[in-house]
Amino acid sequence: MFANTLFLLSAALTVGGAFAVLWSKNLMHACIYLLASFFGVAGLYAVIGADFLAATQMVVYAGGVVILMLFSVMLTGGSSEKINRFGLEKIPAMGNKKTLFAAGFASFVAALIVLKILAQFIKHYDATPMTANLPTVERIGVVLATDHILAFEISSVLLLGALIGAAVISRPRREKND
Amino acid sequence: MISLGSYLAISFALFICGVAVMIARKNIIAILLGIELILNSAALNFVAYTKFVNNNIDGHIMSLFIIVIAACEAAVGLGIVIRFFQLRESVHVDDAAQLQN
Amino acid sequence: MNSTVASYFAQSKEFQAVVVFFTDLFGFDATSFVSFLLFGAVATIIVGAMATIGGLGTYAERKISADLQMRHGPNRVGPYGLLQFLADGVKMIMKEDITPKAADSFIFLIAPLLCLVGVFATLAVIPYSSGFILSDLNVGIFYLVGMASLVGVGIFLGGYASNSKWAMLGGMRGASQIISYEIPVTLSILAIVLLAGGMSMGTLISSQGGMPHEWNLFHNPFAFIGFFVYFIAALAETNRAPFDLPEAESELVSGYHTEYTGMRFAFFALAEYIEVFVVCAVAVALFLGGYKVPFELGSGQIFIDKIGMDAMIAKNIGNFLEIGSFMTKTLALYYVVIWVRWSLPRLRVDQLMTLCWKYLTPIALFNLVGIAVWMWLFDGASLFTLIFHSTGSAGGH
Repeated sequence: MFANTLFLLSAALTVGGAFAVLWSKNLMHACIYLLASFFGVAGLYAVIGADFLAATQMVVYAGGVVILMLFSVMLTGGSSEKINRFGLEKIPAMGNKKTLFAAGFASFVAALIVLKILAQFIKHYDATPMTANLPTVERIGVVLATDHILAFEISSVLLLGALIGAAVISRPRREKND
Repeated sequence: MISLGSYLAISFALFICGVAVMIARKNIIAILLGIELILNSAALNFVAYTKFVNNNIDGHIMSLFIIVIAACEAAVGLGIVIRFFQLRESVHVDDAAQLQN
Repeated sequence: MNSTVASYFAQSKEFQAVVVFFTDLFGFDATSFVSFLLFGAVATIIVGAMATIGGLGTYAERKISADLQMRHGPNRVGPYGLLQFLADGVKMIMKEDITPKAADSFIFLIAPLLCLVGVFATLAVIPYSSGFILSDLNVGIFYLVGMASLVGVGIFLGGYASNSKWAMLGGMRGASQIISYEIPVTLSILAIVLLAGGMSMGTLISSQGGMPHEWNLFHNPFAFIGFFVYFIAALAETNRAPFDLPEAESELVSGYHTEYTGMRFAFFALAEYIEVFVVCAVAVALFLGGYKVPFELGSGQIFIDKIGMDAMIAKNIGNFLEIGSFMTKTLALYYVVIWVRWSLPRLRVDQLMTLCWKYLTPIALFNLVGIAVWMWLFDGASLFTLIFHSTGSAGGH
């Protein structure tokens, strides 16, 4: 019962947050809804016993990604022209009815196709009873350092590359006096 | 109630929202928000399958890597956005069309 | 299963009696219901106690600052001015709740709540004693780091939503400071996790002992440096002086909460004071032996053996001793935090970032590697053990 309540709350938070991101016309609000959605996903992880993953989700998204997003919204919040280079009126940055309709239609079609492909896998799946939730930290540590060591190293290189790349890209160039 | 089906449904809803956000918005940061949603739905799928189907830990590892990639993507993507804003004074995707000429 | 406050009280006879009573009343097994009630009650107690500590924090701050500046401080309301914080609370509630016209009212409303929620959520894993911990999660300390980062979001949003230059600058400074200083904090915590061999608060504390030489602080030189790195960085993370740039009165009127009045302002202040308490509690749990009491008094075994006391009463006495030990150390650190605030001048922004990225982060990384090498070389033995060849319980596994 406890787990069910937690599951329902998290699911509502996740799906509601995701829909609010789609619905909201204000980018700052969308970021907050995204944060709510991430917390919901963390709750969903916690329900099925992925405790380490839930904590990671909170640390990375709440502490890192969302603050980065908010920062860049604030840094790029300056004036924007309403007219493009051909002198035609631009689509507003947060979309209008046309783009929303196109997006809805496209995702509906995509959903149908994906569901059609997945149907055979879903139908042939026989539900196994839920197993007890075991602590995962130790097992994840062992697996990361043995089976998945290559992927682990590659991801650390990727992180280093992203660190240096982001620093190099976003740094303003020095003016050359030539 | 807590079953593979419900998890897949939630992850499906996340995915659809992410795709719709990516298509509907013209602000680059908003498109990045959509990408984050899609990555989350993928990670959720991995964890759900590892819990309800094969019961080993590999799905968690996969989700961890997805989180790593999402963090990298956010950092580099937002760096590019800020640089683009410094050059063009805009974060509208339609303005990023210099190669089109 | 994780050890929780419910699993501790489940050992007592009264708990079983209550369970039996509710089982008869409802007609189904009421163990989980009673556990739920117990969680609710204990959570209420902890939140109430923490709100009081946050309120008393403001009182202590004034008294200590007055002491350091040779003044008297608040002394009119109640004995020694102790009720000053209640008077302040009443004043805060009576104030008009203003939302600026140009503010983003939704974010303006939600920002102080995010701060407060982030701080209160961390209280779930603070180990007050071996029995009195809301939930000893497997990922306890990691969860705490994640939840505490909500405070940064709250401060940033508060600064943004106010639509004021000062609040905006304060919020941006706050957010950049918090995400920068999270790195040395997390690296220092990681070093201790490496030392103890687990992320749950129980594991972290059981790797230490009651006497000072068994603490992680004196386990090896790296941990000793790590404590100071943690403490400085955590001080910066809570926006306390000398790192209180987000609310620097002399430059930004009062930073991110310039536009806030009444209870919303009080939420920010309360969140800050409770976060200081949480930071001190984590420092105690990681480095200063946590709730451990010398001579193994905490388990209460000695009372059972020597006096023949009832097991549950002995355990309760042990737990009270543990709470006393934990609170004493934590409040001592709290005093140090306030002391530092009223002694040191504020840093500049560039000095702040230099301190984080050029000094604290490399030192924390060095500590991490150093502790890893130490654990490998000496097989987890502490410095004290190595010097005196004693077979004490110090050290990891």
